[in-house]
Amino acid sequence: MELSLTEAQTAFRDEVHAFLDENLPADIKKTQTSGGHLSKEQHQRWHKILGDKGWSTPLWPIEYGGTGWSPVEYAVFDEECYRMGAPRVLPFSVSMLGPVLINFGNDEQRERFLPGIKSGADWWAQGFSEPGAGSDLASLKTSAVRDGDHYVVNGQKTWTTLGQHGDWIFCLVRTDATAAKPQTGISFILIDMRDPGVEVRPIITLDGSHEVNEVWFTDVRVPAENLVGQENMGWTYAKFLLQNERIGIAGIGQSKEQLVGLRRLAAAEKKNGKPLIEDPSFRAKLSEVEIELRALDLTNKRMLVETERGMDPGPVSSMLKIRGSEVAQRLYELKMDAAGLYALPFQPEAGDAGWNDELAGTLAQARSAPHYLNTRKISIFGGSNEIQRSIISKMMLGF
Amino acid sequence: MNFDYSEEQKMLVQSLERTLAKTYDFETYRSQLATKTSHDPALWNSLAELGIMAMPLPEAAGGFDGNHTDIALISAELGRRLVPEPYVSNVVLSAFVLNAARGDASLDQVSQIATGETKYAVGFYEPGERHNPLAVNTTAEKTDGGWVISGHKAVVLGGDTASELIISADAGGASLFIVPADADGLSIRKYQLLDGRGAADLIFDNVSLGADALIADAGNAEAIILDAIDRGAAALVADSLGAIEEIINMTKEYLRTRTQFGRPIGSFQVLAHRMVDLLVDYEQAKSMSMEASVEAINENRTERQKAISAAKAKVGAVSRKFGKESIQMHGGIGMTDEYALGAYVKRLLVNETLFGDTDYHLERYSSL
Repeated sequence: MELSLTEAQTAFRDEVHAFLDENLPADIKKTQTSGGHLSKEQHQRWHKILGDKGWSTPLWPIEYGGTGWSPVEYAVFDEECYRMGAPRVLPFSVSMLGPVLINFGNDEQRERFLPGIKSGADWWAQGFSEPGAGSDLASLKTSAVRDGDHYVVNGQKTWTTLGQHGDWIFCLVRTDATAAKPQTGISFILIDMRDPGVEVRPIITLDGSHEVNEVWFTDVRVPAENLVGQENMGWTYAKFLLQNERIGIAGIGQSKEQLVGLRRLAAAEKKNGKPLIEDPSFRAKLSEVEIELRALDLTNKRMLVETERGMDPGPVSSMLKIRGSEVAQRLYELKMDAAGLYALPFQPEAGDAGWNDELAGTLAQARSAPHYLNTRKISIFGGSNEIQRSIISKMMLGF
Repeated sequence: MNFDYSEEQKMLVQSLERTLAKTYDFETYRSQLATKTSHDPALWNSLAELGIMAMPLPEAAGGFDGNHTDIALISAELGRRLVPEPYVSNVVLSAFVLNAARGDASLDQVSQIATGETKYAVGFYEPGERHNPLAVNTTAEKTDGGWVISGHKAVVLGGDTASELIISADAGGASLFIVPADADGLSIRKYQLLDGRGAADLIFDNVSLGADALIADAGNAEAIILDAIDRGAAALVADSLGAIEEIINMTKEYLRTRTQFGRPIGSFQVLAHRMVDLLVDYEQAKSMSMEASVEAINENRTERQKAISAAKAKVGAVSRKFGKESIQMHGGIGMTDEYALGAYVKRLLVNETLFGDTDYHLERYSSL
């Protein structure tokens, strides 16, 4: 048993550090460390820099442009990015669609789409959830009806993250309304969002940000060649996609960085004339979450190492998602509490690129409540924590 | 990074598992408790023959030069089987303290721990001082030929069976002394703890000792005490992991087989989801226990104390939750003495509280 990094892993961390130090643009670092929203241009510029280095799709098979990193190396990369204030590439194209195309797509689709995913030139959105299909995703209704060489798509997707920037959207659609089970009539299809009949409407969330959207489809004609894999097999691909998200799902890098920010904020705040961070009741809460994160960091690496060596991944991603989201949410909550009165002035755009208004308190205080509110989502999306618990109990208890 | 135990370690655990499966089931445990003893010489000897005492001890004392991950593996098996034998007080605490205090001069004593022939116990804590191992009100006064000790040591693990007691006393600062259990003026109030392990309060009323009773003076004792409790804490954390694993087995089985309203109770989501939360907590506790076993011997005290306190606080909190939740999920049967669950819950309570409880370690973690 050896719980510290090997020499090679330490050298790898130094390599990542040196690359980020040299290549991370100052404005992107500033927006990221301020906790503001990155612009589309910032996202894409950084994605391309990583893509040129060969680091935008590290988990793909090497023959498709993966790096061959072990789970521990990936964790090192993830943590170093957050430590250095580098954003992570969005998961929709790289972590979700890419592996599906690699495993279930055809050669034409791979040749056509993988390069744009690697470089970030194509902005992909995810079209799974619908107003009536949240946790019960298989009840989705958006329909795709075959008409010659096309599918005609009608319906509505929702909670489409950053869909306002989207060039493309990968969707689960119903291709067989008469199938015996709802899961068996679903297909996985790629839709060009610039096509006629696609309309994106913003949803403003309670933290004041425009992150998610509704996407409406009215008689959208999608070429049949955009079907991924076989018709009516989409549910299988979607399950693969969600379970494939194991690595990185615990959000360790981000939470470690939040912990640093929380300590900084609590050191600047005063209580009874002393820094809040010296207050015993605050310290106890801080220590509890710090210990939980310390345990999660090790659990994450242990489980990923075991999984990679062929142990049944079983409920690993669900466990990591549950505890990872709980720890992250607790950190954001403590940060808001630590911010005190100046958590209250509502300045939801503070920290965004180009925002120049006067802050009521500090930037960290201004971001604290919007972040707390925004991150309520992480125990809801990607299969709510209750769905994750049901997945685990099915595997481990048989119910 | 790797999270693996060596083949040698796996073999040791397997042989311990096999021996205990043959000789120490829950009924044996219950009948031992009925006789109000914490120690069975035959079992103790069979453990010694397996080499589990010798495993972590220095080769020069007849040991196998193992490390604290060996101790963690062994402790987990003892916890899993509810074995009340004074393993931790002898092999983890006493052997370490003797060796740290006396160096090579301790090899005879340590070799008797390796064979199980002589039993020791270590007393640091005192009434009214809760979990502070450095609060020493017991006094040691220097006389012409030696020392006179007066004071009170609280809940000394293994103090009921030890023939030699190592205690801290104030001789111009915390110092360590070794005292024979039959010394004049020493009264030993023996009892069993919640789970059947043995302990004692030691009351010293002007106990006269020779000059050689002092084994670590005020300059050296404090570091030894702090090192020792971290090792003890790491062992108990591992012991708890073994007990928790058994609770998981019992509770999962119960949820699968107990039917009410015509269906297994585990099919009720309210119970299934609570069980899942316990399983996630277990993985977290397991990671911390592993880290504690590796860090227990780290000579960098701050790093070590951080890891140990994190583990003791985390596993302590998880243990408490396991205790409450597993009884609740079992319902009435979980309340009975003849069902094993309660014994595990009590084992966890003891482990939680000895060598610093959850609050103590949370506070210590905060202060580092």
